[in-house]
Amino acid sequence: MKKESKSSTMKMLNGNEAVARGAFEAGVKVASGFPGTPSTEVMDYTQQRYPDIYCEWSTNEKVGLEVAIGASFAGYRSFAVMKTVGLHVAADALGGAAGSQINGGLVLVVGDDVGRIAGDDYNDVRHYGNMFNIPVLEPSDSQEAKDLMIKAFEISEEYSTPVILKITSVICKTTSSVAIDENDTYKVKCRQKYSVSFSKVIMTTMMMNAKGSEHPKLTKCFNDFPAHIKRLAADSNDFEINRLELRGKKIGIITAGTPYFYTKEVLPDASILKLGMVMPLPENMIRELAAHVDQLYVIEDGHDIMEKNIKDLGISVIGKELFPKFPEMMRFTPDIIEEKLVPDAPKRILMEGIPFRLPVSCAGCSHLFISQILKKNKIKAAADVTCGLIGCFPHMESYSLQKCMGSSIALAHGYNVATDHKENFVAMIGDGGFWATGINGLMNLIFNDSQSTVIIVDNSCLAMTGGQHIASSEFGFNYKPENKLDIAKVCEAIGVKDIVTVDAYEFENLEKSILNAVNAKTNSIVIVKKPCVTKFKLPKSDIYHIDQDLCTQCRKCINIGCLAIESKKGKDGKVEIVINEDLCVGCGLCSTACKFDAIIL
Amino acid sequence: MQDTGKNIIIAGVGGQGILLFSNLLSKYYMKLGYELKISDVIGLGQRGGGVESHFRYSNEPVLSPFIKAGDVDYLLSFEQTETLRYLHCLKDDGVIFSSNFELSTSSVNTRLEKDMPESKTELITKSGNKTFIIDLDENKSLDFDISKMMNIVMLAFYAEFRGYSHEEMIEIVKESVPAKFVEGNIKAYEKGAMIARAQLA
Repeated sequence: MKKESKSSTMKMLNGNEAVARGAFEAGVKVASGFPGTPSTEVMDYTQQRYPDIYCEWSTNEKVGLEVAIGASFAGYRSFAVMKTVGLHVAADALGGAAGSQINGGLVLVVGDDVGRIAGDDYNDVRHYGNMFNIPVLEPSDSQEAKDLMIKAFEISEEYSTPVILKITSVICKTTSSVAIDENDTYKVKCRQKYSVSFSKVIMTTMMMNAKGSEHPKLTKCFNDFPAHIKRLAADSNDFEINRLELRGKKIGIITAGTPYFYTKEVLPDASILKLGMVMPLPENMIRELAAHVDQLYVIEDGHDIMEKNIKDLGISVIGKELFPKFPEMMRFTPDIIEEKLVPDAPKRILMEGIPFRLPVSCAGCSHLFISQILKKNKIKAAADVTCGLIGCFPHMESYSLQKCMGSSIALAHGYNVATDHKENFVAMIGDGGFWATGINGLMNLIFNDSQSTVIIVDNSCLAMTGGQHIASSEFGFNYKPENKLDIAKVCEAIGVKDIVTVDAYEFENLEKSILNAVNAKTNSIVIVKKPCVTKFKLPKSDIYHIDQDLCTQCRKCINIGCLAIESKKGKDGKVEIVINEDLCVGCGLCSTACKFDAIIL
Repeated sequence: MQDTGKNIIIAGVGGQGILLFSNLLSKYYMKLGYELKISDVIGLGQRGGGVESHFRYSNEPVLSPFIKAGDVDYLLSFEQTETLRYLHCLKDDGVIFSSNFELSTSSVNTRLEKDMPESKTELITKSGNKTFIIDLDENKSLDFDISKMMNIVMLAFYAEFRGYSHEEMIEIVKESVPAKFVEGNIKAYEKGAMIARAQLA
């Protein structure tokens, strides 16, 4: 696996770092995309370590992919990075690029959060490979993450197709050694093979008209994409990144990604077909393995995609009937493989009754103030994808509706239209979600004459993924003060009638502003300002504590959802509600919730 | 007998410096020429979630990034509820190093779940594995906040247990932490080595 040359040294890199290194070695010119766990750091590392590469966080994934497509057409290798949920947003752009002429290699680095390790829906990016007929590569460790990133660009150019590099939460967050040639210098490549690149719709329309015609005006527009993919599938039988390891004849496993290593560790005698490219499949290699073994299995993280594709070839293989998929199995582990294929292995059982850690907001987060005010005043509201979605969890119950990123404004509008605006169903959205796609919901709300209230949480960054910059941030890769977008001004320009901006920690003022907005018979926006407490580290003020003589343990303060408030058993076994001094930032929200004045400075 | 490698789980909650801990330890093993795989499993992005690091070093290439339950040699835990989550992963002769620090879980705080009736520290010591509890109260002093430096204390404790060179470990700490934190970290390291010597004696 490791290609060591004379001048190379072994470096410990996680998968995200390795992908960034691969981009550098491949001579990438443009990197774009949108933050999303687990793959956010691909961009962060690219920007920090390889200044020759132009980097941008785009306003959303679709825009990011379109930037990369444009750069690729200009002849330069480009990649867009996002999580699978983000690719749903960018899917239209991918459909446009799929099958079209590619000049500079075009790669999508997509993070699949297998097993919801970092808290995500159970998506599988390989569905896009099937749908758009484009290749998907999947590394098993950091070395392969770097190597396959480079290979992805080569495939993209050779077979004129966008390529997806699927990285999982395990790949992204696992550190292993990678051979790095320290003497490597950045070499940008420019390849201008085609003078036009059109979507399949344009191409197929021309093709119909061009039957029998060799007119160069028509032929230059046509890209024979089915032929390219057929050729790729045939060639993949000889790709080094697909590897047949013939050992015992009893069990044969087709696998990819980190499950390859789980399999190899648990079943050292099994014959394995290890795929570096999971789409299209190397049919000859699969048939060779099938002929070598008594029973063929497929072990793949995520959905049963390789399994179905293998079965479509008419090859019998055992997959999900032995390894049930979601929700029974979140992700493969060596333990799951052992349990099913090594029946006499000893069983290990987790201790019962260990309490679960529900997600909680950071102490001092502005979202806590909003959640508290909505709950206190029984205001019905939709949350967005933001740190504030913690307000949906059962200990808080501040929101009754929550879907995807940027959705809350349109969700509230739909609710209000359906209920004839009799109750003002409020939308809460983060600044990141607002710029990503929420702004479309706002424009829609205005020109369709809706009277809804929108709370925009301006914390100056994309907090949930670690504080990346957005259009209204005062920092960023390409930041210039004159280009900063102002949320209030943009809302005003769109046509919102009633806009107020409030500091989150001014509890009474914030409560009044939200109630005024909700009661106003017009469209209204409350912008709640407070920098993210984790990203910007607010100056620490005096912290609060609980007077145990006054505390009645009503738990109103605990249900705020602040990480700093704990219910603890003392040495004498008595339960006390206490404020964790290390975590409290002194925002004072809990003291406003206490009816017994037990929470004091 | 030469050490051919070990499987270690490092556990705790967000904000305890677990990733720095595994980074420092990895540098030590790299200097010794071992192959490594370190897999960090971090819960939801917010603070206070569980953090788990699978740390494997070996004189042969490491395969799986995750350690199979039953294959763990050492469990190094910074929070005692988290310690309980991995007891079943230890080998019969595996060793536990656990802080008795506890960050109450939100589900218990909000009464969605009942807390375990037994003392968690007792549940850990009753596991049947060799156990070292690092007691925060016993080792608290006015000039030293052990709970904030648990990662460095644990590093020193582990190094003492394994008979590793403290000089080399301190050198790695110096290379890795920002200059303004070096002094505090060395102090924590020495404190950790002291606690370990007292318990191992």
